[in-house]
Amino acid sequence: MERPVMVAIIEDHPVVTEGVASWIWSDPGERVRLVHTARDLTGLRAAPEPRADVVILDLELSGELVTAQIPDLVAAGYRVVAFSGHSDPLIVMETLDNGAHAYVSKEEGRDHLVEAVLAAAADRPYMTRSQAKAMLADQRPARPVLSEQERQALLLWFQGMSKASVGRRMSISENTVRQYISRARAKYAATGRPAPSKDALLARAIEDGVIKPGEIMPYKSFARSAADHPSSGAPGR
Amino acid sequence: MTAAQPAAQPTAMMSGRYQRAFTIAVVFLVAGWHLAGAGGQLLHNRSAYSSFAFQGAMWLVMALAIAAGSVLVLRGTPGWRSAWAVALIALAASTAAAAASPAAQMLAVNWSWGSAGWTGVLVLLRRRFAELACFLAAEALATLGVQVWDGLHRADLAGFLAVLAWSTGAQVAVAAGVRALDVAAGQAAAAAASEHAARERAVTAEIIRASRHARWLALQQTAVPLVAELATGTADPGNAQVRIRCAVQAARLRRLLAEGDEVPGSLVHELHASADVAERRGVAVEIETAGPLPQVPGPARRVITDAAIAILTAARSRARITLAVVAAGIAVSFVADTGAVVGLPAGGEGVAIDQQQDGGMLWAEARWNGQ
Repeated sequence: MERPVMVAIIEDHPVVTEGVASWIWSDPGERVRLVHTARDLTGLRAAPEPRADVVILDLELSGELVTAQIPDLVAAGYRVVAFSGHSDPLIVMETLDNGAHAYVSKEEGRDHLVEAVLAAAADRPYMTRSQAKAMLADQRPARPVLSEQERQALLLWFQGMSKASVGRRMSISENTVRQYISRARAKYAATGRPAPSKDALLARAIEDGVIKPGEIMPYKSFARSAADHPSSGAPGR
Repeated sequence: MTAAQPAAQPTAMMSGRYQRAFTIAVVFLVAGWHLAGAGGQLLHNRSAYSSFAFQGAMWLVMALAIAAGSVLVLRGTPGWRSAWAVALIALAASTAAAAASPAAQMLAVNWSWGSAGWTGVLVLLRRRFAELACFLAAEALATLGVQVWDGLHRADLAGFLAVLAWSTGAQVAVAAGVRALDVAAGQAAAAAASEHAARERAVTAEIIRASRHARWLALQQTAVPLVAELATGTADPGNAQVRIRCAVQAARLRRLLAEGDEVPGSLVHELHASADVAERRGVAVEIETAGPLPQVPGPARRVITDAAIAILTAARSRARITLAVVAAGIAVSFVADTGAVVGLPAGGEGVAIDQQQDGGMLWAEARWNGQ
């Protein structure tokens, strides 16, 4: 049997920490082991062994948004799963852009948190409905280009259908639905601020055949075209 | 100000209204002076002029200049070209009339100096004060020039200074008075506007307070007793019925929180209202919005909310309603445990309705196309 995933919970409300811990303990496969809990991020540095693989991070600690701390956590080698009462698409996007692996709203916690932690530990894409909502709402000019099928799968998933129902609706297999949704997630890992967690997610997605290197084009081709035309005044990179 | 006035009365508009009243007063003053004052003097001294016809013609030219100037100032502050064109016509007519007067009694029979000065006041009133001062000085110098040409005696100079003092003095006083009133009107309008804004803020605060109070009351009736029952142990969380009650209250709380941040218009509010009834029946309803939504016209909204009510009525314990922007429109979808296909309205008004039954779960989508 595989080694369980080591997880830390950073959450300022003890009752929420208790609830999350109970979901972890009630996992029938005991696939996740809770090694550390803390009420803020300072506790994590001093945490004893074994080291956590994945950090479940409440985005609001003592009344302050901590999305800006995510890059440091990711750079330190942790995978981050954000767990938050906020469902504002802008906050979701910022969280993912800063390198969090997945975003789980507090309403989705029971169904999704343990699975998101497992996916994060394996660098496999994970898509909650609140993430799908943020991607559908995304209007930024630099957003990744989703195909018609990817967008439709994402929309039906956001609407609340099971993946099997989405497949029946779109006349495709459930596996293909997963493929579309994972590919949308992987495309988001290819944009914005670089982060080791995003690179790992992309590498794993390519390895698993979720996405082909050529499909991660929009962002890179923009960078290349800027480099190809230094006369445009943009500094080369 | 009466209640029927528009809510936001811009300061500039109010003070503009006062300024217009002052302008109308000046128009009446100038026209009255030219008709009664200058006209009266012209008729009274008609035998003294070498050519009464010429003086009459100059009086008419001046009257036309005053009429043109009045039209200009009633349309707003005139530009320098039109203002000075009128002023110079008045100056020319006045100087010509003075030059054509008999040399010995030019000042005694002069009707035109006052009219020209008032015409200048009329058109230059709201331009820089220096312009009016220049004009009045030019007018005085022109009259003095005619006098010098005719031969200046000490008595004439005294008369000239006397007329200058009272006529130009009165004109400067009126111009300065109107400027002072303009400033006062601006201040009064600003004060009224800030008072209006304060009243508006108070009313808004009261509306917000009332709606908060209404929501607090709603929680008092439903969520608070449930929490109390859970705390005292009279409600058992192991009981499925209690769990459904908790789910309903949780959904209502979530909705109260969500109402503050995303309100893309009446459709969402109407869906909330439709959900309210189902919630009272014990169905947990969540409503999610993805992105800024376009405004959906009333008849199309009615088709969508009709579908919502049909599905929510058939839902047994939970329903999810989502709104998302799709190409050229909006997709409102419903996922609910209805257990069976639901009879839905046929669509129309640009709304297409589709449904799919999967196990006990119903998925339905109302798609409104905005084009």
